Amino acid sequence: MHEFSVMSQMIEGIIEESKKWNATKVEEVILELGEFTMLGEEQLRFAYEVLTKDNILKGSKLTIVPVKGAIECDCGFKGDMSPSEDTPHRSVPILECPKCGNLARIVGGRECTVKNLRVVVPDV
Amino acid sequence: MGQAGFTSMHKVVTVEMEKDILAENRHLADHNRALLDEHGIKGFDFLGAIGSGKTLIIEKLVDRLKSKGKRAAAIAGDVSGDDDYQRFVSHGIPAANINTGKECHLDAHLVDHALDDLPLEDLDYLFIENVGNLVCPVDFPVGSHARVVVISVTEGDDMVRKHPAIFAFSDVIVINKVDLAQAMEVDPRILERDAKRINPGAKIIMMDARRGEGMDELVSALGL
Repeated sequence: MHEFSVMSQMIEGIIEESKKWNATKVEEVILELGEFTMLGEEQLRFAYEVLTKDNILKGSKLTIVPVKGAIECDCGFKGDMSPSEDTPHRSVPILECPKCGNLARIVGGRECTVKNLRVVVPDV
Repeated sequence: MGQAGFTSMHKVVTVEMEKDILAENRHLADHNRALLDEHGIKGFDFLGAIGSGKTLIIEKLVDRLKSKGKRAAAIAGDVSGDDDYQRFVSHGIPAANINTGKECHLDAHLVDHALDDLPLEDLDYLFIENVGNLVCPVDFPVGSHARVVVISVTEGDDMVRKHPAIFAFSDVIVINKVDLAQAMEVDPRILERDAKRINPGAKIIMMDARRGEGMDELVSALGL
């Protein structure tokens, strides 16, 4: 439900960054999105479309790179979360180590990172 | 600057940005926690479903602390209104009200501002009550020392399975209104089992906040 405000903060940052490079246009935004965030890809795309209508990002492409959630345990287990029986359709952060049953730590999947921009700049 | 594209007048370049909006909130949360530490304040944030009993539990904790001569304050986070804020104020404690307007959760930035309105030098404990919501606050820690999530049996025995993330990112899980379990035909042990599996490190407390059952356990879980 908060995709719009998150995206609007991202766009602000992108506009700021593109000014630093004297960019005349942003062509592509590459966003890494962790699967443990509560951010929906569809909602992010919709917000992006609305929020890029009248600025330097107009007509640009949003590429979302999904990042797998991962946990790590003191017993040595490290791995992705595989869908379980009761949540077959998406990954949820189950912190019970599948190997030893103890408490594991989340080591990946909480990102919402604007990695790169492809921008048009004057060729000087 | 990365690889160049084409044309004599303009070129397309790849710019590295590495900006994580959620991480920015987490940094600001760390800053809030450091501010509390500076003043020797322990902070707890309460998340949970609408009507699960968050406000009542904080009110009871505040009264307990008062009887021990400890000073607490509370931040009430709601989409609109000051009902919870007024409840906190009626216990004679400093309080701040945050109306998020259109936002579905508190974030570290809003809490940072609310901290400006509280007499930090006079406090031992701070309770931060988030907007009633089991989804959105997950991504936005506010800078407390421990997170408490409150659900109640009246929401059904599938509540943990429906909102697993919030249980994974909390330190204490309160299952409230257990006195109503029979009337609701809900088995609280199912909620407990699901919560344990998602987060074996969390303390799980069965509670009837209205009558004070489970309050001793919560007090000890929070180290109050």
